Amino acid sequence: MKYDASFQAVSASRRAFLRGASFSSSLALTGSAIRPADKTIVVTFGGGARDEETFAEEGQANIPNLLHTLLPQGTFFTQVRNAGILGHYVATASIVTGVYERFNNFIAQPPPNPTLFEYFRRELRRPETDAWVIAPSNGFQKIGSSSASGFGPQFGAGVILPKRLLSAASRNTPNLFDNDQLQHFLQDNYEMPSYDISATAQDNEMHLDTLESTLRLSVQDFVQHARTLDSADELSIFIARRLMDQQAPSLMMLTLHDMDVAHSGAFSLYIDAIQRADRLCAELWKAVQSHPEYKDRTTVYIMPDFGRDADDDPAGNGFQHHRTGSAMARTTWLLALGPHVRQNTVVDRAIESIDLVPTIGCHLGFSTNSPGRCIEELR
Amino acid sequence: MTPDQLQPSSFDLYPPLARSFAVEHLTLLRQLPLTICPSFLAQISDLDTRFPIERKTLAWQCDSLAALPQAKRDALLAPLRAIAMAPELEKLDWVNSPAAFVERLSAHLWSTGQINGFHDASRELFAAIPDQPNEATRLALIVVGQGADTSRASILSKLARKGIRLNGVNPATAQQQLLEAFAKHAAKGQEAYAHWYVDGGQPWVLPESVRASAIQVSYPQLSPLRKRVLERMQSILNTNQANAEKMRSDLAAIAPTELRSGQVASDPILQRFYTELFTSGSGTQIFSTSFVQWAGRELARRAQPHTVLLRYTPRQRHRGFNEMVSDPESKVLDPEGSLVDAEMDAYYNWIEMGRIAAPGKLTVLAWVEGSSKAVMVSPKTKPNTISNQAVTIEQALASFAVV
Repeated sequence: MKYDASFQAVSASRRAFLRGASFSSSLALTGSAIRPADKTIVVTFGGGARDEETFAEEGQANIPNLLHTLLPQGTFFTQVRNAGILGHYVATASIVTGVYERFNNFIAQPPPNPTLFEYFRRELRRPETDAWVIAPSNGFQKIGSSSASGFGPQFGAGVILPKRLLSAASRNTPNLFDNDQLQHFLQDNYEMPSYDISATAQDNEMHLDTLESTLRLSVQDFVQHARTLDSADELSIFIARRLMDQQAPSLMMLTLHDMDVAHSGAFSLYIDAIQRADRLCAELWKAVQSHPEYKDRTTVYIMPDFGRDADDDPAGNGFQHHRTGSAMARTTWLLALGPHVRQNTVVDRAIESIDLVPTIGCHLGFSTNSPGRCIEELR
Repeated sequence: MTPDQLQPSSFDLYPPLARSFAVEHLTLLRQLPLTICPSFLAQISDLDTRFPIERKTLAWQCDSLAALPQAKRDALLAPLRAIAMAPELEKLDWVNSPAAFVERLSAHLWSTGQINGFHDASRELFAAIPDQPNEATRLALIVVGQGADTSRASILSKLARKGIRLNGVNPATAQQQLLEAFAKHAAKGQEAYAHWYVDGGQPWVLPESVRASAIQVSYPQLSPLRKRVLERMQSILNTNQANAEKMRSDLAAIAPTELRSGQVASDPILQRFYTELFTSGSGTQIFSTSFVQWAGRELARRAQPHTVLLRYTPRQRHRGFNEMVSDPESKVLDPEGSLVDAEMDAYYNWIEMGRIAAPGKLTVLAWVEGSSKAVMVSPKTKPNTISNQAVTIEQALASFAVV
């Protein structure tokens, strides 16, 4: 592939930095004895984070939790390539199907290839409450299941769109929203600005039912808690923790997205969002390790959906967008944590973002049709 | 229709300069594959309202490609010709709507996994074009930090790694000396559109000597255009079918006349440039910092200025996107966040000016407004160095600027 040299340069920069970090890159196995993890959480560190602002030397100040708390407890892959379309929905769909999807990023549609959730539920005969997706944007509403023959919603994950929950809550209790700061949660970012406010009454009813039956949360309590939060990603983490408490699903995917505010060109807001995502990942891991249903039996995979354009690429405008398809925009990383995952380990071998689905499959014991490969270090 | 079928009459709907340019370069255009010919036409069709240097650059590119030996040109175009096209693309009116075609082509290249091959082939093609003669010395003056806490030692760190950090600048004379430096440099050349002052807020007063030759533009000055673009954005949002792609393509299709750009400039070239700052820029409609950076970038790419003064002032505090579109006149500012934005933007401005400057011909000076801190990058500065010596802007430029 023509981009090999560029990809390796990106990865090498990250490796050089990691060698200087406080942890070892040895292959020593530490921590608890290996045993099968029976819960899985996938977190996309999205939408779009570059090396410069994360694991490259100048970015390390933005990710103290990933670097100093989580990384020593897990296995870090320095070179994850995304060879697909660099749009958030289609890229996230590619991660959950293990196939580089080619559909229109801006049309909410089920992926054509089976999703991780369908493989998991169909082959392992798991109930519908056992797989969930928490997604940031209205456009992600169809990501829980595919249109593939033999699969579909009957095997898919439940999809919770926190913004839609809040919108439904606002319709139900408009007085709670008067002159309120919560409106900003309802809006998507610069790249996906619209929020579908034309949701039907039935749709609202369904979401209010999700609040009460799935999350076992009253509208009032939900809104009150949302008032204490600063961003949509924080709302997503709140929902994730509520799901863990109420449903304890075996498979959960959480897509963070605040950092895509970079499209507005404000570097400070992009950095704030990265720092927030770093903190939220640590909070999630802490929640996992202190939760009786999850502690020591959960594997967490954290991976950006993709990067962003390089500073010196004349076709782009630096961190602002992800439009050039250059190596910087395609090269990311993966951090895995869990009882069967080697701690304090760095892997420089190149892997692909579509390897995650077959890797989870080979670890949990279900097959997939993904052209990706099971990552041996995480089997 | 394919490019080899182009005739002089194909360009009958083009404006005069564009039509004559296309006809003059028809032999080359006929040889280009459909994957790239519309990109050339997108530039040609707007030529009547492009900067003179853009016309010159496009002519240079076309003439250089036409002058290549046939075998070499064929070899360079072969990978672009080999890209598989969708039949529906070939049916589009790519001669009269080349920009719309290019947008559809881009989506096709991404969805078919051919985007990297296209970029590689395009890069190879343009790498075969020799550089134009370029002897101009260029000066970029950048001002950041108004209203913010500027005590941080690491301020402007990305730019400072490329040059010298000056910690003893006299703040009392800095503004006046920056303006004088701008005027002095601008006086060296009288080319049209070569000297620009872009301000994110209420602008400083340029010296009398340079007011006629330099172009001054500010975020408040272009407020009428910006508000009309925001109204368009609001109407797109109101359709509940907005997405980034639709927003971009709808905004890009807005003509300067639709925004009544004559209200802010009488020159049609400036009308187009100012309009496109808001219709092709991302975030320029809501943040003054994004506006100044994008203006600096687009000036470097298009007008190739000899002298620029770019002043970043505090942008509005971040709110929900829809709220910023529907209520753009927030009085609550974010000086600290704006400084962080401007530090990165100044670094990008240095990169962008570096793309058009001949080796050894660029000086960049960034001053942290109201403070004793500045950074200079020029052929005479050493990377990542620091000077704590008391110095005026005038003395710093005398020591390090390229003349």
